[in-house]
Amino acid sequence: MSDLSFDKKTERKPEEFTNNEYDAGFVTDIETDTLPPGLNEDVIRHISAKKDEPEWLLNWRLEAFRHWQTMTEPHWAHVDYKQIDYQAISYYSAPKSQEDGPKSLDEIDPKLLETYDKLGIPLREQEFLAGVAVDAVFDSVSVATTFKGKLKDAGVIFCPISEAVRDYPELVQQYLGTVVPTGDNFYAALNSAVFTDGSFVYIPKGVRCPMELSTYFRINALNTGQFERTLIIADEGAYVSYLEGCTAPQRDENQLHAAVVELVLLDDAQIKYATVQNWYPGDENGVGGIYNFVTKRADCRGQRSKVSWTQVETGSAITWKYPSCVLRGDDSVGEFYSVALTKMRQEADTGTKMIHIGKNTKSTIVSKGIAAGHGQQAYRGLVRIGKNADGARNFTQCDSLLIGDTCGAHTFPYVEVKNPTATMEHEATTSKIGEDQLFYCRQRGISEEDAVNMIVNGFCKDVFNELPMEFAVEANRLMEVSLEGAVG
Amino acid sequence: MSALTLDNIAALPGNAALQTLRQQAADTYTRTGLPGKRDEDWKYTDISRLTAALGESWWTTSEPQTVDINDVAAIEDLDAYRLVFVAGRFQAKQSNIPAGVQLLPLAELLNSDAHEDAHCLFKLDESAPLFNGLLAANSALASDGLCACIREGIKLDKPLYVVHVGNSTAHVLSGLMLGANAEATLIEHFVGTDSSAASLSNIATYVRLQDNASLTHYRLQLESDKQLHVGRVEVKQARDSRYTLHAVELGGSLSRADIIINLSEPGASCDLNGLFVGSGRQHIDHHTRIDHNAPHCRSRENYRSVLDGRSHAVFNGKIVVAEGAIKTDSAQSNANLLLSKNAEIDTKPELEIYNDDVKCAHGVTVGQLDKNQLFYLKSRGLPEDEARQLLTFAFADEVLVGMKIKAVRRFIEKEAFAKLPNLSDLEGMLT
Repeated sequence: MSDLSFDKKTERKPEEFTNNEYDAGFVTDIETDTLPPGLNEDVIRHISAKKDEPEWLLNWRLEAFRHWQTMTEPHWAHVDYKQIDYQAISYYSAPKSQEDGPKSLDEIDPKLLETYDKLGIPLREQEFLAGVAVDAVFDSVSVATTFKGKLKDAGVIFCPISEAVRDYPELVQQYLGTVVPTGDNFYAALNSAVFTDGSFVYIPKGVRCPMELSTYFRINALNTGQFERTLIIADEGAYVSYLEGCTAPQRDENQLHAAVVELVLLDDAQIKYATVQNWYPGDENGVGGIYNFVTKRADCRGQRSKVSWTQVETGSAITWKYPSCVLRGDDSVGEFYSVALTKMRQEADTGTKMIHIGKNTKSTIVSKGIAAGHGQQAYRGLVRIGKNADGARNFTQCDSLLIGDTCGAHTFPYVEVKNPTATMEHEATTSKIGEDQLFYCRQRGISEEDAVNMIVNGFCKDVFNELPMEFAVEANRLMEVSLEGAVG
Repeated sequence: MSALTLDNIAALPGNAALQTLRQQAADTYTRTGLPGKRDEDWKYTDISRLTAALGESWWTTSEPQTVDINDVAAIEDLDAYRLVFVAGRFQAKQSNIPAGVQLLPLAELLNSDAHEDAHCLFKLDESAPLFNGLLAANSALASDGLCACIREGIKLDKPLYVVHVGNSTAHVLSGLMLGANAEATLIEHFVGTDSSAASLSNIATYVRLQDNASLTHYRLQLESDKQLHVGRVEVKQARDSRYTLHAVELGGSLSRADIIINLSEPGASCDLNGLFVGSGRQHIDHHTRIDHNAPHCRSRENYRSVLDGRSHAVFNGKIVVAEGAIKTDSAQSNANLLLSKNAEIDTKPELEIYNDDVKCAHGVTVGQLDKNQLFYLKSRGLPEDEARQLLTFAFADEVLVGMKIKAVRRFIEKEAFAKLPNLSDLEGMLT
């Protein structure tokens, strides 16, 4: 690096660039209604009672809980973390003011709104300017849902899942747990037992959702786990684009986040699901940070349905996440675009599963991993082409960019093909930032930091292009903040 | 699962110290047993086929039938030092050992004064990559194999051609050491006979290459239809040494090989080439692991499979680049052609990289013959069948191009293509 730095003063070590302080790390001081730590059937009954849930849902939760008790925590992921004590977590936390339930934005605790302002999602402004309906989840309970009226006119249901259980029980009962069954995996079972809130979206037949839907999740209270559950149903010919952003305040403890997202697509439906995940990653010594263990799955039940996952993962101490597509319907399409950044002591084991069942199903995987500092990055993916998936097609590309000599990048792609008419291609490369690229930019007067930014942005472009405008801007900013000028 | 007991340990070669090692290995097997489906390394290979075919005490060996080497389909026109093993026992009469090379069958070595040299082959390291119960059983029961030490600077004028005739269960343990600047070619040819009973060939080969040594290793597996084959090749490479592997899997009902390469000093390089041709209900599995433990090492890997019938192939290629192994240059490619609706391929090219100054790439493809290529040939008057044959031939032959010994390449081409449907017409092309 020194040979590139003409001006000694500008020479900075990569660690300095990559250890930018987490700028969403503030704690909102409001009263919360929190259950004492611990998990047993009483806690689940309590959560269920708090939410006025019908009997079937309580039974569903209890069944999941009993199943969970028989399961063991998985350790196959390429991540290393302290044993989690599931009895030391509080499974319910709601802002106190929720008891009366806000009717409009004006009734919302101003401190809460302030929090969102700091995160860059001013609800009020957004309502007018951004044109994005936000279902903001603060800890476990949705506090504000905007644009409800406009969506209602289109016939779109967009509400907290607890509300959906009350108002549209037949829809919820029909689809909940059909994509990710309660016993699917350890964290999904835990989530099924204790999930407190999340979003519910239903787009009726032939409706194109008039605006982009968005949810901001935020873990605030100390020692609580966040277990949200999202269910999106796109009926025949429906279209929706859904955005999800996550941020958490700075704490020394490790917090658990185990979410489940289920997408159901019927004939000709299309869902675009984008995530920008910026949970607190811990400090440079690996103290604190969110454990992000998420199960996301889309079920393309209908013919010609199309689902697209786009994710930008810059936060969390541990990320364990594989948004998947089950391509059941003929001619259905699954896409996965991912940028994951690990710096300091962050670890990410992420990727996707493409299960080709229907004929002429297509999937595309583009995964870009960037590791800096002591970050460990793993792509783990599965492409399975079943016996009857005639003409299935998959293209996979996963590239890793390494910055610094103490980070790691790993690739574990599983490919299982049982059909001779299928075509699948997988490519992966790993390299560091090209010194000649850097040199080229530098000799044209671009500072080292800006040059690295340009190169990293170029590296991620395939994925950022898939994001909606507002998110692409935020993703770019996030990458810049996290990676200014890191040079290996 | 039954325990491995060494009833007639006295009948196995080796002194008391070695018997202790054998006993330890037997205990290790009894403790670990056979790998199960829940083992990540055995996810796609169901080794219970072994116990299904041979019973709980699958390791039991029996007196081999005598075989006349002239009846065995060996490679024609091959100018080499030939060493023959039948069911894991060395056949001195049918072999010629090169002069000026320290080369002894394991059984003889264990009875000689230098017997302790061989003990290291029996020591098990359970933390080694892809370690499993089959290897422990091999250490406990191995009675023979090839032990060769090719001294500093010696370049063998002819290849060592080791023919393993498998007609009853055998545990073969071999060790090959090349001194600094030595060069050699080893051809391991596993061949079956028409004997009807199923049995297992459990083969472990350890290779050590000193500075700047070079070994070309042909590993040709053409066991009979009912034979099961389990192999392990472990190579440790010193500075600037070169190792080239040509692995060919044609025979056996179930065949699994673990190839473990340790590039332990700067400048070492390895080339792994593999060809699987599967038909019927064959199951072929290769797990390769290359550890880049030093700077400036280079590895290349190219595996191809052509699968017909109900055959099932598994390829797992893992490359690990350690911290500090800078300027690593590694590339891996795996291409697969499925010819039948019931064939299956499971492939997993893995990279584990702990260092930024590396160049690593891997690629996998699964598919059928290229329609454009087919069209091109058809437009030039070739019938569809012939065009398909030609393209299949070309696809598989690409990994054989690197074989420097013509006789071996021709032999494999003939054997491989005889297995494919309607490919006999291509015979003419091979001359």
